[in-house]
Amino acid sequence: MIKFHPTEELLVKYTQGELDASLCLVIGTHIDMCPVCANTVKDIEEQVAKRALNSGSRFANTDIDNMLEQIMNSSAPEAMLREPALKEVMLEGKQFKVPPSLGRLGSRLGPWSKVPGSVWRAPVDIEGQHNVNLIYMAAGASVPEHTHRGSEATLVLNGSFADEFDNYGDGDFIYLGDSHRHSPQTAQEDCLTLAWLDAPLQFTSGIARLLNPFSSLFFR
Amino acid sequence: MHVMPKNRVTREYMNTSPSKTQEVTTEYLGKLLADVANTRSRRAFSELFKHFAPRLQAFATRQFGNEQTAMDLVQDTMTNVWHKAHLFSPEKGSPTTWIFTIARNIRFDILRKNKHRQNDVSAEDLWPVLSEEMSDSSEEDFALDQNILMQEIGEYYRQLPDAQRIVIEQIYVQGKSQQEVSDELDIPLGTVKSRTRLALQKLKELITAHD
Repeated sequence: MIKFHPTEELLVKYTQGELDASLCLVIGTHIDMCPVCANTVKDIEEQVAKRALNSGSRFANTDIDNMLEQIMNSSAPEAMLREPALKEVMLEGKQFKVPPSLGRLGSRLGPWSKVPGSVWRAPVDIEGQHNVNLIYMAAGASVPEHTHRGSEATLVLNGSFADEFDNYGDGDFIYLGDSHRHSPQTAQEDCLTLAWLDAPLQFTSGIARLLNPFSSLFFR
Repeated sequence: MHVMPKNRVTREYMNTSPSKTQEVTTEYLGKLLADVANTRSRRAFSELFKHFAPRLQAFATRQFGNEQTAMDLVQDTMTNVWHKAHLFSPEKGSPTTWIFTIARNIRFDILRKNKHRQNDVSAEDLWPVLSEEMSDSSEEDFALDQNILMQEIGEYYRQLPDAQRIVIEQIYVQGKSQQEVSDELDIPLGTVKSRTRLALQKLKELITAHD
């Protein structure tokens, strides 16, 4: 049972194409996993479409005729056939299913690298920036307490993790603004997440602060 | 206003469209799209164009504030409607919604193209509206493969410890989710997952050993 969903505001912006591509990817992947949000987005689409196309401007008749002729005489574009979507990822000998929205961008998934604290990450290359990562936390792993200069969206693909606020499981979508601090950790179960950041992490506690100058190396 | 002779034919079929006072229903627009898809009806497309092009233009002008870009969006969108009407399915939403999603994608790509980015994600990757769907058939292939695999590995499968076999049976044979198995057998979800993984690992070893 998914407990945490994107806000309606985020879903409306997603539907209108007003978020950046990397955040669209995370929200689209949540929608793949969440029939409730899939339904909501269908409703939002109908409403947004009606509003966007509810009234027309005046079109000169010659414009209509010219464009109509051009269109109906144009040759059919080639069918858009996409490369097969990535269906699963392998890590530490384990296999994880990949939802279709992420799978369609599977060719952009970079190599895994290890991060301190039994954590692995693989960047998804979007617009040449690495601000979406698959993050894998082994059982009993923790990411030191941190905050962000920007916002963070995390989607649980498989497994569960907890922070100071709650426990999160498959399909949960967590959006944190820049003032939130948290320290995610796993217990007896491991966890694979898709995480979006709009600025590097800032570690806030103890010795982990030493990581700050380097945080952009592994979490962005 | 004078009518140029060249436009006469066009005008005749335009006059067959419903009058302004008459509500253009979703069903009617859907029928026009079906006519375009099935019979390449130029008359039906002209009606669709007359209904949607001015609306798309108003929408695009609000978005871009640039008339030329707005007209490009209208033309691109309606060109897709003409060639890809067969991809519309009424079960997924209304004609207005379908055409809006095409325009939304084109707008997204235009805005990003302006930033001159290389190797960019296209809107179609994020919201597949016009891709020829291969996913249904590939899903079936995937299911079929699994059935064959199931028969082939039936032998190995009987060699699994009971606890793992029961979990695998419920998930792969009966198609239950891991959560459902966890609820029914009253064991923690984590245990279901680890048993599944262990079982699959074991099966993999058995299969590769006998290859």
